[in-house]
Amino acid sequence: MKLEHRKINIKDIQFGEKTAVADGVLFVNKEEVIAELKTNSKIKEVKIDIARPGEKVRIIPVKDAIEPRVKIEGEGDQFPGVLAKVTQAGEGKVNILNGVAVVTIGDIVGFQEGVIDMWGEGAKWTPFSKTLNLVVEIIPIDGLEPHVHEAAVRMAGLKAAAFIGKAGREIEPDEIEVYETGSMAEEIAKYPDLPKVLYVEMLISQGLLHDGYIYGVNSQQILPTLLHPNEELDGAVISGNCVAACDKITTYQHQNNPVMKDLYAKHGKELNFLGVVLTPELTTLDGKIRTCDYTAKLCKMVGADGVIVSEEGYGNPDTDLLMICKRLEDSGIKTVLITDECSGRDGMSQSLADTAKEAIAVVSGGNVSHLVTLPPADIILGNIEAISTLAGGWEGSLLEDGSFMCELNAIIGATSEIGYHNCTSKLY
Amino acid sequence: MGYLIVSNNPMVKEKFDNVYFIEGTSREVLEKVRDLVHEGFELMTHPLGASLRMMFSPCFSVVVKEKQGEFNYFHTEIIESSIEKYNQHMEVREEDVENSKDYAVVDYKLLESALGEINNNAMSF
Repeated sequence: MKLEHRKINIKDIQFGEKTAVADGVLFVNKEEVIAELKTNSKIKEVKIDIARPGEKVRIIPVKDAIEPRVKIEGEGDQFPGVLAKVTQAGEGKVNILNGVAVVTIGDIVGFQEGVIDMWGEGAKWTPFSKTLNLVVEIIPIDGLEPHVHEAAVRMAGLKAAAFIGKAGREIEPDEIEVYETGSMAEEIAKYPDLPKVLYVEMLISQGLLHDGYIYGVNSQQILPTLLHPNEELDGAVISGNCVAACDKITTYQHQNNPVMKDLYAKHGKELNFLGVVLTPELTTLDGKIRTCDYTAKLCKMVGADGVIVSEEGYGNPDTDLLMICKRLEDSGIKTVLITDECSGRDGMSQSLADTAKEAIAVVSGGNVSHLVTLPPADIILGNIEAISTLAGGWEGSLLEDGSFMCELNAIIGATSEIGYHNCTSKLY
Repeated sequence: MGYLIVSNNPMVKEKFDNVYFIEGTSREVLEKVRDLVHEGFELMTHPLGASLRMMFSPCFSVVVKEKQGEFNYFHTEIIESSIEKYNQHMEVREEDVENSKDYAVVDYKLLESALGEINNNAMSF
């Protein structure tokens, strides 16, 4: 399977008469995008703004971030099974508006997630302070059930990204990244002496505001499944979860999964990257046992020597993480876990909600409880009052001068458990 | 397969028959679940929230399997460590009662998903 990420480096976004790219500037016809999104009868109003790196802009509460792309060669288009017809993702050429993110905002339920500061102290904690953000606020019609509202916002973000991505269709890229591997049998024959490595990616799969989707299928409904990394890098996996911002994996982060990219970079040199197992995180104990057993079985069947496991979320998903680890280590497969820590404001408490003696190689993305104070913004996109209801915020978080105090878990992607973030931990 | 929902969520009480309703906090729900597990009930859903945010929920529901007669050490360990983790969190935070209504909806929806999984499982027939 061969996929080209053809990156068109975007240096600015501006509103214009036509949605197009010229000389590295993305022009967006605001009314055109609004009209496109308002074709969904559940959406009453759409507001669109731009937030650039360095501007004193605060975006709150954030739902998702999505990279605008267009498929220029190969089957299908963006987000197969969701926006486009179901086709095999992972092959062909994709033009990417590199440096741009569509960021959706809007209240769904009374408690929220996600802040992005484009400058200063807040900016250093989130990777989305470095992207040129097209901020899309969705106001639904009255009386929508939360799950219908969530779906409307999720679809609007994806639709906006796909719509804008089309502006890159005819543009020559500034750089091209190629992701290619043959069948497992071919790769094993090619690199017989290199350790065979699988990546197990866990996805929250628990219900309203806690779901991930694969080709449009809610991951609650699957057994762990073997995926070629190119499928996710080509938009087969999207986020449908809206709770803790720090360790939420946005659609943008799935589209650019750094574990996959790093494994690709080492493929054929230090290791043999065989593929990805997507594993749902269910709420039932039987479900957890079934998926963890099944995940370990897939890794054993493929003959993995080593496995990297990344988590999504905190709480009962910690149990899945450690159950997978235990099963793999017991099978003689060396296992590395990527997670973040919820170890209290002083960092001294137990980091995960569960433990296992087999978890001896753990990469931490940082402590979600770390306290930060963010200075007042000049411009607020969204609702500043939402800080008191963010995970990581509380009543009294918002101070009189407009600054606020919060835990890192209020900041989008601050401690991403797939490693798409700026933060890490140090042992003293 | 008989199961019991231990919950302090009024929406859950209203919609289901097999509910052991707790007039109290989420901590009290967890403590009741612990007592039941010690009596021989088994956990069907994990007694920790699905996310960090749900740890602050004033409404919480856990599904247990009706009394099995045998003490399950694995399930005892899960409920005991979950209560420990819950207490650790709530040392510095309070239940978010202001948004009780929304938490009730999310808890209900998460429960609905779990019951969907339980009821669709072939072993329940």
